[in-house]
Amino acid sequence: MSLDLAAPASQQIAGQLLQQPPTVQSDNTNYDVLALFSEDIALANLPVVDAGRPVGIINRNTFMSQLARPFHREIFGRRACTAFMNAAPLTVDYHMPLTELSYQVLSAGEAVLSDGFMITRDGDYVGLGQGLQLVQALADQQAEKHRQMMESIHYASVIQQSFLQSSRREMAAALSDYSMVWQPRDIVGGDYYYFVRRPHGFFVAVIDCTGHGVPGAFMTLIMASALKQVLTTHDLTNPAEMLGAINRQVKESLGQLAEHEQDDEDFELRSDDGMDCAFCWFDTDACTLTYAGAKTPLFLLRPGEEEIDGFDGNKKGVGYVGTPLDYSWDNQTIALPQGSRVYITTDGIIDQIGGTKRIAFGKKRFKAALLSRRDAPMIEQQRELLARFADWQGENSRRDDVSLFAVHLP
Amino acid sequence: MQNVYLAATSATPEVDFRFDAHRLSLKGESYPENAQAFYGPLLDAASAYLAGSRGADIRIDVQLAYFNSSSTKLLMSLFELFNQAALSGNHVVVNWFHDEEDDTILEFGEEIAEDYPALELLTQALV
Repeated sequence: MSLDLAAPASQQIAGQLLQQPPTVQSDNTNYDVLALFSEDIALANLPVVDAGRPVGIINRNTFMSQLARPFHREIFGRRACTAFMNAAPLTVDYHMPLTELSYQVLSAGEAVLSDGFMITRDGDYVGLGQGLQLVQALADQQAEKHRQMMESIHYASVIQQSFLQSSRREMAAALSDYSMVWQPRDIVGGDYYYFVRRPHGFFVAVIDCTGHGVPGAFMTLIMASALKQVLTTHDLTNPAEMLGAINRQVKESLGQLAEHEQDDEDFELRSDDGMDCAFCWFDTDACTLTYAGAKTPLFLLRPGEEEIDGFDGNKKGVGYVGTPLDYSWDNQTIALPQGSRVYITTDGIIDQIGGTKRIAFGKKRFKAALLSRRDAPMIEQQRELLARFADWQGENSRRDDVSLFAVHLP
Repeated sequence: MQNVYLAATSATPEVDFRFDAHRLSLKGESYPENAQAFYGPLLDAASAYLAGSRGADIRIDVQLAYFNSSSTKLLMSLFELFNQAALSGNHVVVNWFHDEEDDTILEFGEEIAEDYPALELLTQALV
């Protein structure tokens, strides 16, 4: 088979499957056919062509089993070879795209898989195609499309990760004992984080945009640019106000206003995307934390305490149609005794299905994992959590992107 | 009013909306790539069913082990519809099933009860 591999996957045509076995004419005898089949053991199908026009296909197995019947050789040997021919084979044009060809083959039924199909140009016979080669070409085409798509997503991941670079550097410079897990479910994803230092503290945002994969990644870029703008105009010691500003900006830029907030009529076409997130300002002088949450909890383990405390933010996400344009989030200021550990995670860990009952990992198991290594360095604690999480997930597929920011304050 | 039945897939729940019997059920998991495309027609069907409905005894059984955030929003839109229906003279019971050890799903149910007080939401632990 000579498959033109240089042709783009989408432009592959029937002609690329072309084979040119010997042909016979309809006035050749069955003895002639038998001679050809005996000569070439690999010859599976023999096209019958009259004056350049396709007539039919003689399949080796059909032919041989017919001829093997009692007296058939004697009766039919000298007769025209059309006796055991498939007189209505699938006939397709040289330029027919492979995808269309595959549908034709499917509707033509099983015979095509054994007999093959005639390929013509302007109605004239040019060669024969085989079912198996078609399957091979389709598989190659599929693999090629998949490869192209994955390549493009892998490159998108390079872009998305470069957006996280500055936060990674800042984090490493500002914190001594911390961990940051960022695991998109589909190479790129809708989770995002941001970190920046200031003389008296640092600001961190852990963000879960709607969706995952490519649409999720689009949303992170929109949110990153909104956040960047708000950082220049707002006081980052007031996270709640920043959430309010981003909410307004996103709703206006994506047109995500409630029906009464806008007057045009294509309300149905509006997107409804946004983010759940936790914004935190850590004041390292005062040893406090100001937290504003949009459906994203914060967990705190104070030194010497038995349990991990949970703080819930507001119940509205940022930017969604259902969140009013003037919605205001609340700041919670939390004292951080020396040695406190703070954890912020998107819902990917807590909601993951797993275990023998196939239920959510849940906050209880999340906290228990952290408490089991309560005095260990953050990176080890994180390792323990992720090991238990992977164990819980087991054979189940990952349901969502996973992010976790964890810091141990000196 | 046409009933709606959709078999479960790995990323979408079984939907069994028997409008003629006023019984609706959602069962399975929900994380379709395009939640709007999945839930949009269901929301349309539900609001057509509820249009002008008064004094009906409606029962909704929900047994979902996982739903992603975009599904959550659309589920809330569904409950919003039924909350409105309850406010306009229907009686709506939501049986919210959760595994006895699944606090995450239980808490979700409790939040729905809080947000949509006109619904009679009963959390039901599955043993």
